[in-house]
Amino acid sequence: MDGDRRNRLATLRADIRRLERWTGPARGRLSLGDLRLDSALGGGLALGQWHEIGGEGIEAETCAAPAAFAARLAAALLARPDQRGRSAVWILRRDDLFPPGLAELGLPADRLVGVCARDEAEALAVAEDALASPGVGVVLAEVGAVDLTAGRRLQLACEARGGTGLVILRRPFGGAAAGTSGGTAAATCWRVSPAASAPNPGELGLGPPRWRLRLTRGRGGRTGAWSVEAGARGDEGEADVAHPLRLVAELGDRDLAAPAALSAAG
Amino acid sequence: MLTAVSPQAAAAGLFSGQRVTDAQALRPDLVLAEAEPEADARALEALADWCVRFSPAVAPDPPDGLFLDIGGVAHLWGGEAEMAADLAARLARDGLTARIAVADAAGAAWALARSPAAEAGPQVLAPWDPDGREASPPPPELAGLPLTALRLEPAAAAQLSRLGLRRIGQLAALPRGPLARRFGGRVLLRLDQTLGRAPEALAFRRPPTPWFARLDLAEPVSAPDDLARLCRDVALRLCARLETAGRGARRLRLDFHRVDGAPVGLELGLSRPARDPDRIARLFLPRLETLDPGFGIEAVSLQAAEVEVLSPGQADLASLLEPVEGPEALAPLIDRLNARLGPGRVWRSRPRASHVPERSVRRTAALGAEAGPARDGPAVSWPAWRPRPLRLLPRPEALEAVIALTPDEPPRQFRWRRRVHRIRLAEGPERIGAEWWRSGIEAVRTDQVRDYYRVEDQDGARFWVFRSGLHDHDRPVRWWLHGLFG
Repeated sequence: MDGDRRNRLATLRADIRRLERWTGPARGRLSLGDLRLDSALGGGLALGQWHEIGGEGIEAETCAAPAAFAARLAAALLARPDQRGRSAVWILRRDDLFPPGLAELGLPADRLVGVCARDEAEALAVAEDALASPGVGVVLAEVGAVDLTAGRRLQLACEARGGTGLVILRRPFGGAAAGTSGGTAAATCWRVSPAASAPNPGELGLGPPRWRLRLTRGRGGRTGAWSVEAGARGDEGEADVAHPLRLVAELGDRDLAAPAALSAAG
Repeated sequence: MLTAVSPQAAAAGLFSGQRVTDAQALRPDLVLAEAEPEADARALEALADWCVRFSPAVAPDPPDGLFLDIGGVAHLWGGEAEMAADLAARLARDGLTARIAVADAAGAAWALARSPAAEAGPQVLAPWDPDGREASPPPPELAGLPLTALRLEPAAAAQLSRLGLRRIGQLAALPRGPLARRFGGRVLLRLDQTLGRAPEALAFRRPPTPWFARLDLAEPVSAPDDLARLCRDVALRLCARLETAGRGARRLRLDFHRVDGAPVGLELGLSRPARDPDRIARLFLPRLETLDPGFGIEAVSLQAAEVEVLSPGQADLASLLEPVEGPEALAPLIDRLNARLGPGRVWRSRPRASHVPERSVRRTAALGAEAGPARDGPAVSWPAWRPRPLRLLPRPEALEAVIALTPDEPPRQFRWRRRVHRIRLAEGPERIGAEWWRSGIEAVRTDQVRDYYRVEDQDGARFWVFRSGLHDHDRPVRWWLHGLFG
């Protein structure tokens, strides 16, 4: 009788685990181009899951730096041999994406499908649909917020075919930021803000773009803050997609990254 | 002047074209109503829409006629006579008196429908001149009709009648050469059109298509589930025909015919030709609830407006090996998104050979002929050495409180969207002028020139700003923000 009960409990637990495949094994990991970044993520950005990327201050509305960061990740992802022939789907609420700028970041226009959704619910529904479709490698969705239910749905859609989602949080123009209280179903949460670039000595103008990254939540990894630069560009100006980011410095953010964890990673 | 008379009035000896005073003298109890030609025309248009249930190709023939091309659809009723009878019965039920005639030529049908015989019931004229040769004489039904049935101009008709020609048969028996010399080609053309020897162009409200399927219901339905089932059933019929012919549909139109006569419809475009009824029905499904079934739907029709060759193997293979990679694999998603979001909301961007930023991107369908490499002209791409922003504002926004050391230097500080940005680094200018070759050289002005700078503020945010126009002492310098770099 006791054993029977234990068996039933074990079966139920297995059922719950199966239903809550939150931390299912990632379908591969995407290297961000630096070992210190990858180790904080447990080996790289988990594929087949979705990640939340947001901005701060004015970037929450214009959303240029978060989008650039997402574009670098998407470009690196599409360059993997197992993503050959797949496309990226970029879902917009406000139609201001400029493909030449994306091409500079390594995301070619002929592998990008643009979608303009009319409202928040539609954008999330399209993202879900695209993630579960064949031929789609990565879905980038600009939405105001993703609540827990929508997040779970996105995660299930990711698991359907191994698509990776990058949700770019963007405040509607002039509107208030959606409340992000409560948990999120995202595998990782990033906050990206621009940082002053450092042109090489003797060069005029601007250096490669730099961003301050804050990893505020990471499943199976730890949080942290870094200053990174977009990967080097080749002689013809093409973006290096194999190394999307170059680590400039680890930022000592006491609130986010415990010093002990940092030294262990270093 | 009377423009139309009721049957009772006609029995009393009144006729259209009669003067009102004469008519009132004949029948003092005459009830008069103002003629409303515009309302009549609108009613005719509405009737043409209603007739789509019989054939997709309906051409209004003002003031009081409709042409229906029933080639290839009459068999759905069991024959032309049955179809005409059904049409007459339905019109009569709605209180419309109609004269109906079926013939091989639009002109012949026109003539027959206006003949006295059509008052009794629909006339169906058997084919008489299958090869279109002029030798065969017109059938007696046509030959006996007066010349007014030829749709001639009044002058020509009067001249012919002065010569003693009263019937179509008499005119058709005359030698063609002298006839053409005497009355001009117009009379001959009308004669030929009536006898089916010359083609007649009809202004169909929708182009005729042989790919048409319909379902009639015994009882009107309005529940969404029923509509969804109908949609699939009618798709099944059309797809079976497409399958036999080895075709696939690219554009489809689904029409629900309501009890009150107004059709409600949906259009669907596909990125690849398809003939899978389930897939087509699924694409219509999310939008069915936007339709208003009114008091009920009594018929449904589906027509394929664009049809392409689709070999039988392709469809089967696609369903067997579903996880195909490559652009083909995207087709179902693109179709779903197009159907859900409407046209123009799903696209792929292509470079265009233009240095004006707004014009350097061309949007094309996400899949299709254009999705491959550009066919027109050499392959263009955006030059990597010219920095372009990640976000381009739909229209440049004016910068306020711009501080620059000299008028032709990049700004040191500006205000944009109520926020002051102090510039740390700047790069430029890149001068971009208007495309003077698009309009006359005299239209080119120096104030169309834009000097673009890439600037970075104290926080590292990067902007694409430009100064419009060349420097001029009399004019204040104007600065605009056009894009944001990530």
